[in-house]
Amino acid sequence: MAVERTQKEVWKLTPWLLIILLLGNFILMAYDARTQNKQRVIRVWTQAAAHFIQSPITSAGTAITGFFESVANLRSAQSENDILKQKVQELEVKVQESQELTQENKRLRKLLELKQQSDYEVKTAQIIGRDTSAWFDSAIIDLGSLDGVKLNMPIVVNGGLVGRVTAVSPLTAQIDLITRDKSGLGAVVGELGESNALGIVNGTSKKDTLEMKYVPGYMDVKKGETIYTTGQDGIYPPGLKLGEITEVRTGSATVPHQIFIQPSAKINSMQEVAVLIYTPPPRPKYEEALPNAVKDEEKVDSKADKK
Amino acid sequence: MEQVKITVALIIAVVLQWTLRNVFPPFAFVDFPLIIVVYAALQRNSIKAIFFGTIAGIAVDALSGGLLGANGFSKTLIAYVVSEIARRVYLDNLLLRIPVIAGACLLDDLVYYGMHKLLGQELVSPLFVTMSYTLIGTTIAGTIIVLFLDSFSSESLKRQKRDFFAPRRQTRRRNPIRLGKKS
Repeated sequence: MAVERTQKEVWKLTPWLLIILLLGNFILMAYDARTQNKQRVIRVWTQAAAHFIQSPITSAGTAITGFFESVANLRSAQSENDILKQKVQELEVKVQESQELTQENKRLRKLLELKQQSDYEVKTAQIIGRDTSAWFDSAIIDLGSLDGVKLNMPIVVNGGLVGRVTAVSPLTAQIDLITRDKSGLGAVVGELGESNALGIVNGTSKKDTLEMKYVPGYMDVKKGETIYTTGQDGIYPPGLKLGEITEVRTGSATVPHQIFIQPSAKINSMQEVAVLIYTPPPRPKYEEALPNAVKDEEKVDSKADKK
Repeated sequence: MEQVKITVALIIAVVLQWTLRNVFPPFAFVDFPLIIVVYAALQRNSIKAIFFGTIAGIAVDALSGGLLGANGFSKTLIAYVVSEIARRVYLDNLLLRIPVIAGACLLDDLVYYGMHKLLGQELVSPLFVTMSYTLIGTTIAGTIIVLFLDSFSSESLKRQKRDFFAPRRQTRRRNPIRLGKKS
């Protein structure tokens, strides 16, 4: 009888608990949606904890994948040359290690080339985790605030811009890709300083396509032209390559062009990225930017007059 | 013992969700924490199930580009719905559990998508394609995981389940011929 009463109590308590938890989650969601440019404590510490799990598993996974790839390569080599078979098998582990190191070396060299070309300090990072949900495409890298990474710092690969940092823990950082719908950035068709075809680039529902909006319809824009960042968004530095135009839906004098871009960075297959340690120049304060704004000095003067 | 088993399973599921996509991208379409939340809800302990739902959801959200709490919301709701269904309907048969997992997966995706739309967020992946792949991946993986977890069920839990849906007492039919017989 006592057990039955407890069960009834549990059944009565559950809906209330459900409402509280749902409400808590909803408040968390609403707060997160409202202030997306700030990072959450939960994210930061979960990422820091996850780093100790993600990093070794990613390394092991890469090693296993590399192992099977090398085995597959060995099989094809076997059919070509039976004599070398045994020697290759003996050296299998060493070959696998060297292949991995060679590939990594190539990728890092490419990044180093970019490092030499760039004006900013560049830190290379490895992707240790992908988005836990199938609905998004963010990634987690193995550099964090201890390495000097800060919120909104740009992420690039040799091909061009990839995204920006959206959350930083001491050991890791979460990056949001430019292909995401909400990731607007200032861009220009052609070289910066030579073209006036300015616009805003957003992600689309297609993962490998970006859309450029607000380019005036009277500007001459052609398929195949390169898009660069302008730096006017206050996040990304100017002159970073975004991609090439694949389609132009021509506008008119009053209707802007609709431009579709293929990102030059291979976003889906990237394993190493570079973080640009870049701080955008300070923007003029809102009050100072307005023509009729009251400046601080004037405020002080008016107070003195009243006295 | 059973609670320890589910807690350990949930931790492993969250870890797998954090890591497997980077090793093999199609694993993005398997929602491991959802499977464990549904399994916990099928044990008819609704309070623990909804707590598991919230914790697993927020742990997944923390490493996702989506809204913090969206998975927590959907998984909490699903834990409650499944535990309420399990309280009323006998769902210890595996063939009945498969549609429950599939239904939970669909509902989870719809609630997750709906909450993002409600709060003005655009999702990167298309709705129907992602939902279809997730449904297939999670249902197949869910069936295997539930079978695996059931094989570890303790005898006391099996007895508890039997007691929960105890068979009706059947009164023995009296022999009509014997009724008229005088002793």
